[in-house]
Amino acid sequence: MDWAGWALFGLLATSALTLVMIAAQMAGLTRLDLPLVLGTLVTPDPDRARAIGGFLHLGAGQGFALGYAGTFALLGQSTWWLGALLGLLHGAVALTLILPLLPGVHPRMASHRAGPASRAVLEPPGLLGLNYGFQTPAVAGLAHVLYGALLGLLLEPR
Amino acid sequence: MADRDGSRAPREPAPIADHGLIGGTRTAVLVTGDGTIDWCCLPGFDGTPVFGALLGGPGAGRFRMGPLDPAAPVARRYRENTATLETTWATGGGRLVLAEAMVAEVAGRLLPATVLVRRLSAEDAPVTAVVDFDPRWGEHHRRPRTRRGPGLVCDFGRLALSLGSDPPLEITPARPATITVEPGRPVTVVLAAAYGEPLIHVVPSTAWDLVSADEARWQEWAGAVHRDLPFRPAVVRSLLTLRLLTYSPSGAPVAAPTTSLPEDPGGVRNWDYRYTWPRDASIGVATFLGTGRPAEAERFLGWLLHASRLDRPRLPALLTLMGCRVPTERTLDGWPGYAASHPVRVGNAAAGQHQLDGYGWVLDAAWAYVRAGHRLNSETWRAMRGFTDQVARQWQDPDAGIWEIRGDAAHHVHSKLMGWLALDRALRIGEGHRLGEAQRRRWLTAREELAAEVRDRGFDPVRHSYTRTYGSDDLDAALLLLPGLGFEADGSSRARGTVDAVRAELSAGGPLLYRYPPGRDGLPGGEGAFLPCSFWLVEALARTGRRGEALELFEELLGLATPLGLYGEELDPATGAHLGNFPQALTHSALVQAALALRDTAPGTPGRPQRTG
Repeated sequence: MDWAGWALFGLLATSALTLVMIAAQMAGLTRLDLPLVLGTLVTPDPDRARAIGGFLHLGAGQGFALGYAGTFALLGQSTWWLGALLGLLHGAVALTLILPLLPGVHPRMASHRAGPASRAVLEPPGLLGLNYGFQTPAVAGLAHVLYGALLGLLLEPR
Repeated sequence: MADRDGSRAPREPAPIADHGLIGGTRTAVLVTGDGTIDWCCLPGFDGTPVFGALLGGPGAGRFRMGPLDPAAPVARRYRENTATLETTWATGGGRLVLAEAMVAEVAGRLLPATVLVRRLSAEDAPVTAVVDFDPRWGEHHRRPRTRRGPGLVCDFGRLALSLGSDPPLEITPARPATITVEPGRPVTVVLAAAYGEPLIHVVPSTAWDLVSADEARWQEWAGAVHRDLPFRPAVVRSLLTLRLLTYSPSGAPVAAPTTSLPEDPGGVRNWDYRYTWPRDASIGVATFLGTGRPAEAERFLGWLLHASRLDRPRLPALLTLMGCRVPTERTLDGWPGYAASHPVRVGNAAAGQHQLDGYGWVLDAAWAYVRAGHRLNSETWRAMRGFTDQVARQWQDPDAGIWEIRGDAAHHVHSKLMGWLALDRALRIGEGHRLGEAQRRRWLTAREELAAEVRDRGFDPVRHSYTRTYGSDDLDAALLLLPGLGFEADGSSRARGTVDAVRAELSAGGPLLYRYPPGRDGLPGGEGAFLPCSFWLVEALARTGRRGEALELFEELLGLATPLGLYGEELDPATGAHLGNFPQALTHSALVQAALALRDTAPGTPGRPQRTG
């Protein structure tokens, strides 16, 4: 497996994904803020949460990149389109499984069952993250496709 | 216990004021004095009606539990400081009591998101009662597929309902079941709803325990409300109503749980209020901060921040409960409307309007939060700076105003005042937060220019009053908010003159006021007196040194509440009937704000804080 490539390009691809998400947020396309969502797992202060969440996100991206590198090694090939396909799958899993399940484990995210005693402050993302804006699935999908395409382009299939 | 066919003939609608509100902070139902639930949307406040008889006629679904022969209740009340409604009828030598509530706290347990519990008890003698369960789904009153599980299961596809009872009853949709309720042997009926997830059946005795636990929590909640508030029971009921109208999953306050209850019975002034106005959330911040419930205030601020994210620096006039864009306004064909008031609308076209006043409410809420000793985090302050920049850029533009006039935009004086308020409050917050000098100067300049223009073009020296729009002869009851904003000194002749002129020219008799001269909005028909304006008058009088008058007026207004202490948006000055969507969050917030003004201006109270929210 391409360990050196994984170490460097995993970071690069995650940064690119993060940039797309931030740009989409600034353009008013989505409210999904991954560093905030991850960071509030450990702190209620949104400013600190973003900083901590940024590192958590980089770490998570690096972890997923390991899966991409392993898949490329297993298949014996790595191309941008193969990476993009994996990215599409990755995005679909994130939107349909990870995000909707988050309220069950996130201490500061409300669920659709939240009541008056709830002190959770983050809204539940809902299926496909649609509660964060109807363009969220498109933005998140695109960002993950870019993440995968970059890894497919840059990682060696060994 | 036997079934019998009941008459489904249309009947006169129950007066709006006859309705009680039962809620679980995710959705709510309206129930009439004869025990009929005639309004309930699922899965949330802004969902699809499953009991819609209020607007759609008998075929749109209802759920009645009460005496077999409808009778007026002899007593009706909320259990003290709770959300449990209790209705008592005297019938056939006995008394029948219906206690009902929605379960609010379901998180963390295997419970459905929506649980409605209704319990009938008899006192003195057995009483014959009826259970008439007829759910219909959506615009076309779809009937359910039914099956028997632990109780009755009504399947609509994505939505499923489970109706269980103790003792077990043979209930069939649309076929009223006659039962005999024996003293000491209450009948408990539990309705559980599942939307896009498996049904969870709730054992009736467990459900009743959940209601009891909720009651204890509500009492504790109400107990934290400041003790020194004047007219505390009415204020607490308003706060509880506001909390019941707050959507817990996002923290959004819904303006009202209904759509299209008419401002003009038989007319076209029927709007969908099942959304959230940033204005209401902002007023809520100050309302809950001022009464000792800071957690609710923080959630409103959090919602504002989250919901406005997609459109910043523009502030939408209204948003869905999850902070998304409000659906395009359309009418429900075939729905006759309340008292033949059609169209029945869903969605709200006001969402696309430019309303300058919204920025003022939001910045004032942020200022209230800061003044209460909190600090805005960097994202909140960044958002507030963005809103303020937007005001500095846009204050010269005409807008739709607080009353959301659907015709041409105009230079509404109240909007300009609120624009001034946004700039003023942002400058005050900036004194304790990071703010660039160039930005500060820009806001300062805009504030001064705006003030000069309003004083020049928005004031009528003949009547000695600010006007509805620049150069207009009309007045606007929203100008009652002027005292306390800081734009004019509270005791200034301009502030007092405006309050007096509005009171004289927009009076609808007694303590009631029209919001603007009736009929001057381009819509056919008239409307009632606008209740929040009357509470704003109380506040204005209190803040302009006429506390005695304010107190009298407030007491009169408390007498206009429904027997359950609820208020709609408007009141018919001739009949005293409540009009418009019900119950109305803005009216209840205005009531609390008026009580806070009375408290703040009480003799011996140190300082006189400016109005916030």
